[in-house]
Amino acid sequence: MDQFLQAMINGIMLGGFYAAMVLGFSIIWGVMGVINLAHGEFIMAGAYFTWMMNREYGWEPFLALIVILPVFFVAGYILQRILINRVIERPHLISLLVTFGLSIIIANVYKLAYTGTPRTVESAFSGFWRAGEVTIPITRSYVVVAALTMMAALHLFLQYTRLGKSIRAAAQNREAAQIVGIEIGRVYAITFAICIALTGAAGMLASPTQAVFPFMGAPLTLKAFAITAMSGLGSIPGALMGGVVLGLIEVFIATYVPGIGTNLGIVASFVILVVVLVTRPQGLFGGLKPAGAL
Amino acid sequence: MRALAQIWQRHDLGKWIIGLIILLLLALPLLQYIPSEETLVTNLLLFSFTQMFMLVTLASNWNLTGGFTGYVDFGHAVFFGLGAYGTGIVMAKAGWPFVPALVVGAIVSAVFALLIGGATLRLKGPYFSIAMLGTLVAMREIVRVSRPLTGGGAGLTLPPYLNRPLFYYITLVLAILVVLFIRWLRQTEFGASLIAIREDEVGAEMRGINTTRHKITIFIIAAFSSGIVGGLWAYQNTFIDPDIVFLPARTVEMVMMTMLGGLGTVAGPVIGAATIYWLRDVVWANFLDYHLIMQGLLLILIVLFVPEGIMGTLGDRSGTTVGRLWGKYISPAREGTTQAEVNP
Repeated sequence: MDQFLQAMINGIMLGGFYAAMVLGFSIIWGVMGVINLAHGEFIMAGAYFTWMMNREYGWEPFLALIVILPVFFVAGYILQRILINRVIERPHLISLLVTFGLSIIIANVYKLAYTGTPRTVESAFSGFWRAGEVTIPITRSYVVVAALTMMAALHLFLQYTRLGKSIRAAAQNREAAQIVGIEIGRVYAITFAICIALTGAAGMLASPTQAVFPFMGAPLTLKAFAITAMSGLGSIPGALMGGVVLGLIEVFIATYVPGIGTNLGIVASFVILVVVLVTRPQGLFGGLKPAGAL
Repeated sequence: MRALAQIWQRHDLGKWIIGLIILLLLALPLLQYIPSEETLVTNLLLFSFTQMFMLVTLASNWNLTGGFTGYVDFGHAVFFGLGAYGTGIVMAKAGWPFVPALVVGAIVSAVFALLIGGATLRLKGPYFSIAMLGTLVAMREIVRVSRPLTGGGAGLTLPPYLNRPLFYYITLVLAILVVLFIRWLRQTEFGASLIAIREDEVGAEMRGINTTRHKITIFIIAAFSSGIVGGLWAYQNTFIDPDIVFLPARTVEMVMMTMLGGLGTVAGPVIGAATIYWLRDVVWANFLDYHLIMQGLLLILIVLFVPEGIMGTLGDRSGTTVGRLWGKYISPAREGTTQAEVNP
């Protein structure tokens, strides 16, 4: 029973992180129709930023967000203007290949700069809370709190600000949004910038709980894809549900199936992906757009 | 210029030139036996050519699903890897000789294509691409944890057999056979159906093409052939582990080469693979650290600026000056597809 409870808590905590990391991917896809295969590499970059701040200046990982958010926002804006903007109107193959190329470049630039050695980031909150036989790692619970905060802030932004409303309008109907005077290029660039900033922040959230290395991105991109397909494009509650479902499945497999590590989590997410896509192409929860509508 | 073009067309010089290149390639290893002070043809050179022939075959296989059928497969390296492991396991664990082992590897790969294709080929567009990428990554982890059978992360060592000229000939013949097969396939009704699926899958279905069966069949053919390449690669490399055979970058290579040469053309993958391989071997060999960065950059540049590829750009008579000349003098009929072929 304790083992079950423990697996439950671990799964939900992992799910909280997954939900935060999937936001950027899901909204870029929902608004622009671009599947960003370099998503995991932005997470990796965020994690490396945190590691640098932690090593060079002894910053607490969570404090690194102050640097990561603006830097990644600007990087995302520039990247959208010079690269992603060229592929929005083109067939999906083009945007997939361009972002795939981008992911190779980013991962290998980081490998050149920091070598392939896995790094760890030490947080000051590295202890455990105990409740009976169940232990709750303090860092991970702060990660979940930060993830929920990010989701709530994004939700409020999309629902209640003028800019947020124009982003949703652009996602629903590009032409109509242009007719009512929304500057589509600017909206796209800002959307991309926000999503990359969120993704960099997700990298910070990943850094205290897993090893940081240049090729950590690819499995995360795949998981983001599986969660998004499951939850509907750009849906924040969907991202939370999808993230928790995947987190629980991964942890339960690792706990109850002997002899395999969490590496098979990627197999689990892949199986979910195919099953969901074949049976319910519109996703389980709906969102900005059904996943089937490309 | 005009006279030259007439001679070119009357004698079908294009075919003669291709024939000549193939003859030269067939004769290349024989130069080893000419006695001289220095070795004219080193084993290293033969090795380079062997790698190139494998890439030509892989890119051509990828083109069958990605180019002709329009199902962009981001995980085609999984079939290469299964071929390599299928061959490797029966050779290293069961002690089989190479040729039957190679057949086993290719069959493993084809059977897996049947199983996975049945599920993933129902998906459309990017969903298929990512599902296949997922298959590749998942298969890598499955092979890594199946330690008793595959040797896990530590890999598998095959009995070494380093006869470079032999591998050179096998891979050359395989590449020629595959390209000729695709050229033939392209002219059959089956090939036309594949293109119809790419252009309009629902329309093709309404015209009575069993699209699912066509897609799965071509998927299996491509997987079988890539499985053979994987087995050959494993044997000449004598060592395989999950990370080197199930390499997503290998799929990227196939996509890149096909795109550069021209998606959905017979000659495209050949030209693309040869260009990129030699570019890499000659130019980038000096910048080994930057190799993958350059590869990513090149992929982006190709996709943004020559999405039609060399064959597409050259075949398009209305395009550039080079393209006009090519269309006029060298290859009068465009090799890509026209609407008339799709709906005769």
